[in-house]
Amino acid sequence: MTLFATDRLWADAVVLEGDGRVLRVQSTRDALLCLKNHWLETDGPALAAAKTLCERGLASDDDPGLALRAFIEAAKEAGFRVNSWTG
Amino acid sequence: MRVKDVMSAQIVTISPSDTAQSAARLMLETEVGALPVEVPGVGAIVGIVTDRDIVVSVLARGLSTSTAVAEFMTVSPELCNEDDDTTAVAARMRELSVRRLVVANADRRVVGIVSLVDLPTGKQDREDAR
Repeated sequence: MTLFATDRLWADAVVLEGDGRVLRVQSTRDALLCLKNHWLETDGPALAAAKTLCERGLASDDDPGLALRAFIEAAKEAGFRVNSWTG
Repeated sequence: MRVKDVMSAQIVTISPSDTAQSAARLMLETEVGALPVEVPGVGAIVGIVTDRDIVVSVLARGLSTSTAVAEFMTVSPELCNEDDDTTAVAARMRELSVRRLVVANADRRVVGIVSLVDLPTGKQDREDAR
């Protein structure tokens, strides 16, 4: 089964702004797709950590909040302006 | 001929609360143009969303790309089974006025999507039988 056959919804959406784009993300699967295909940077420690946590979050019953927080850290690292209730 | 012989095999679904842009990202990654819409945790299929829906019902109308899938999907809770006869399914789709149906297996799990254009018409079936 493909990794993308499952998803974990987040309680709140994260809205990222940068480079003339607005990305609205509200699930672990969508976060991973953004990190993989639509990111401002191609590498960085927070990006790598977020990808790992998103993949693990889709393959297990980990708290979706782990992927959410890692995603926000990766967004800050990449220079996105982050709008989120989570911090 | 059975539905499983002509369907596009696919098990990736999207939630009604997902957005147009998340649907587009998932279509890009999985290289499909249509996604079954499934209620998370319930497993009920409530519709289908296509790449054309995003263009015509969201972009062309000037809606935000954060518009929820539920607002522009084609509502179609009907399913067909992978072992159903294609002629009967084609007739049912015309009756329902839908161009695509989600295909499930005996365990009621999504296994694909079948399009009307993939199905032989009743006339073609009759000719094949001669």
